[in-house]
Amino acid sequence: MKLIQADKDRLVFHLERREKRSLCEILKLYPLVPEAYQQVSKTAQSDAIKASQQLLEEALAAQRQENKKQVLAMINEPERFQETESGFHFNLSVSQLEWLLQVLNDIRVGSWIALGSPDTEKGEKILLTEQTAPYLWVMEMAGYFETVLLDALNGKQG
Amino acid sequence: MAATITPEVLTDIGKEEKKGSKSDLEPGYLVICWNDPVNLMDYVTHVFQVVFGWNRQKAEMHMLQVHNQGKSVLTRESMERAEHYVHQLQRYSLHATMERDQ
Repeated sequence: MKLIQADKDRLVFHLERREKRSLCEILKLYPLVPEAYQQVSKTAQSDAIKASQQLLEEALAAQRQENKKQVLAMINEPERFQETESGFHFNLSVSQLEWLLQVLNDIRVGSWIALGSPDTEKGEKILLTEQTAPYLWVMEMAGYFETVLLDALNGKQG
Repeated sequence: MAATITPEVLTDIGKEEKKGSKSDLEPGYLVICWNDPVNLMDYVTHVFQVVFGWNRQKAEMHMLQVHNQGKSVLTRESMERAEHYVHQLQRYSLHATMERDQ
């Protein structure tokens, strides 16, 4: 995936065919972060914090539902991926790129949770089983696409 | 009748609002981002820039604090504002919480 064109509010990336396939496959997995994963506070226990926790869970659930619809719409939108001789041109506005970053990071973090939330720098082992192994690939691919998008936002060519 | 009842009702509501809003409006909550080994450093920097409107240098400083010290206090706010920031950070799947400033 490579940034080939950028103007004020639109970016165009070149995707090889297998990259487009991979991107669409991992996007279909959204959402991956479990609903009860996020906590408003580690220590505060007041009624107000409990209400805030409920509000957070409701907001995140609504956001996930909306994002899921948008992800499926994006994958199936013909103008989004324009076929070329060597692959596809993937068109995004800056706000869509920002949204896609959130979606990809949910997929990355959710994959990491599925792998046992390991801290490999501290020597913790990745939970690799027949069921979890695909998440290692998903996590790495989501990270790869995030990096390309972030570089594009920061004005670096891919 | 309205004139008789109204002052009592207003007084009660006034007390309730004043009591409830005082602690909520005080900047007594810390918004903290905690380290995790999965979020990319560039991504965390970017999220801080978007959510708080910081320049890259300040966002990077906080990102490095998270990475090296395990957490960074991003801001001290009223409960409502802290809640807003925590929700924003969690939309990006960052590990962020709000804690009472002791």
